[in-house]
Amino acid sequence: MSLEERELEVLIGPQHPASGHMRLVAKIDGDIVVELRPNIGYVHRSVEKLAEVKKYLQIIPLVERPSLADTTANNLAYVMAVEKLLGIEPPPRAQYLRTLLAEINRIHSHFYGMGIHGVMIGSSTAYMWCFGDREPLIELAQELTGARLTYSYIVPGGVRRDLPQGFEDKVEKVMRYLENRMPDYFDIYFNNPVTRARLEGVGVLTKEDAIKLGVTGPNLRASGVPYDVRKAEPYAAYPELDFDVITEEDGDAFARVMVRVREIQESIKIIRQVLKKIPDGPILDEKYMKMIPPNLRKQVEETGHIKFPGVFANLRVPAGEAVARVEGGRGEVVFHIISDGKMSPYRMRMVTPSFRNVILFEHLTKGARVADIPAIYGSLDYFPPEADR
Amino acid sequence: MQDLLSVIFEPYVFVPLIFPGITVAFLLLLVIIWLERKIAAKVQLRYGPLYVLKPLGGAIQMVADLLRYLFQEPIIPKTVDKLAFIMTPALLFGAAYLPTIAIPVSPTFYAFRSDLSLLIVLALSTLAPIFTVVMGWASNNKFSLIGGVREGYIVVSYEIPMFLSALSIAILYGSLDLVEIAEAQKGIWGIFLNPVAAITMLVLMYMSTSKFPFEIPEAESEIVAGAYTEYSGILYGLVMGASYVKLYVLSLVFTILFLGGWNPIPGFMANDPLLPGVLLFIKAFIIIVIGAFLRAVYPRFRIDQAMDLGWKTMLPLSIISIFISLVEIMIMGGA
Repeated sequence: MSLEERELEVLIGPQHPASGHMRLVAKIDGDIVVELRPNIGYVHRSVEKLAEVKKYLQIIPLVERPSLADTTANNLAYVMAVEKLLGIEPPPRAQYLRTLLAEINRIHSHFYGMGIHGVMIGSSTAYMWCFGDREPLIELAQELTGARLTYSYIVPGGVRRDLPQGFEDKVEKVMRYLENRMPDYFDIYFNNPVTRARLEGVGVLTKEDAIKLGVTGPNLRASGVPYDVRKAEPYAAYPELDFDVITEEDGDAFARVMVRVREIQESIKIIRQVLKKIPDGPILDEKYMKMIPPNLRKQVEETGHIKFPGVFANLRVPAGEAVARVEGGRGEVVFHIISDGKMSPYRMRMVTPSFRNVILFEHLTKGARVADIPAIYGSLDYFPPEADR
Repeated sequence: MQDLLSVIFEPYVFVPLIFPGITVAFLLLLVIIWLERKIAAKVQLRYGPLYVLKPLGGAIQMVADLLRYLFQEPIIPKTVDKLAFIMTPALLFGAAYLPTIAIPVSPTFYAFRSDLSLLIVLALSTLAPIFTVVMGWASNNKFSLIGGVREGYIVVSYEIPMFLSALSIAILYGSLDLVEIAEAQKGIWGIFLNPVAAITMLVLMYMSTSKFPFEIPEAESEIVAGAYTEYSGILYGLVMGASYVKLYVLSLVFTILFLGGWNPIPGFMANDPLLPGVLLFIKAFIIIVIGAFLRAVYPRFRIDQAMDLGWKTMLPLSIISIFISLVEIMIMGGA
């Protein structure tokens, strides 16, 4: 039989338990994947186009939608690009609060990825645990921002709310809980012989390929490339904080999961430093603070909740171009805004980590086994709605 | 009434229909799936089934599920091979429960006693996978086909070592008669005489009934539900129940081979038809519960890894277990 006769074309998704919103066109020969073409589908199409007709502040919730588990990164990157155009720098306290939320978000985004990965290789326990342990972090973020997932917390010039009362203690409690919890994960999931057998040596991405394909985030670092935007081009409060860039050498599915686990520990470290070092002061740029009517300003100073000055509704951004990048949970998020001085951007371009990481999928599954498809898919922490913008 | 009772307690009727037959198998189905969900929930820090019969923690959840399956419309796709598609679930379930006819309940209570009852049970228990393969083919769906083929692969890799480890016990006791084997364990149980055989048989038992980590033929995240993808309604209820019934049957066999069957039973109870059966059932139930617990602990193996385990680890181990039996016979001076 010729190879073409032996091949079976299997359409995995979009109505498949493991495919998310994506469609995978797999050609398999027996149990070996000959070719796998990911089709990213249509979920949040036209975010970039919609941004051209929305006002600058309205775009914040819009760009958050696609990356549902990791909204702070998009929020922050967009606002940083706008701030570059406006030529303002948020006050230090706001920088620290941004970092705090970004790290809380990074942890629960990693838990999300690990949970989905767990259920993809058949461990419903890992799934339940990860999603359960994600909850305290979401609660923290909720208390800080008022929303569970799409926070819209970061606004041009600062953040929307100050730290709630007694927040430090709650954070410390959650961090201690997480630290006590991690050994359980190792006992039942990461050090499980079946997990190891399923993940080790599966979907190996070499250092050279990782660089060549433009992979970002934990997937890149799992192949031994110590690239992290937080270090390469520091933003928010990161230059003043002490943390390491996590790398693993193997580049296989297990290394990718391990990078996430170790990054969670690193994030805990960062959050503790943030709470220790956070300076006092305003949380919104002085220029905008002044625009709040005096009677409201008093209330803002008392409660720590910003009442937006009128200028925000029709925020005009000077003409020009700006690019901002941040390190999200899944990788590098880039926003490029071209402004012509009107109330909406002339053009907005977002580069999401999942879109860059999905290229890997085709690359890694060549010659893998059918059962490796979900194992690799999960280890990439790929989030279909994010790829499609 | 008296006549009716005596008919029911006639071993020819009682063993296939009540214990260990179809009635207990159904009751067990109701309990074990609930228990599996409860155990997994315990590990996963959640409640599991809760609302059906609340005081007992949702204990009859499966009755509700069964009713739902019963009244759900069984959708039969146009392109399937209709006869094979509809017949196989019933045949699969039947074949899974069929071996119970040769399983004795006590030294004196059995449907029929044969010199070869162990062989009969093992042979009948290997009928079921054929229907899974047929099911995968008849569904006319690529995922089903892959699932069916996987079942075929798995069968060849568990069957031979499982037979060898069961037979090593037969060698040890010099008999293929389940009654004799159980009776021979009055003193020391088979698991202590030949632990290697016990471990291989236990692992392969879970492999043959698609328990985690061997839930490969119906791997949800890879091939949807494998051979069962196209099934719905009561047809799906039957195919899903079949693997649990098979596990029940194999657990009974495992209990008789390695856990002393109904032993230790006090002498005055030996002629009672029910009590030895209860003891047998409790032991088998523990084996099933261990299988249910595995769900919470293990992810799923890949097909090639499971086959590796079958051929490269379990087969040599089962051959070693035969040698262990032979050596023990030599030491003990012949059976």
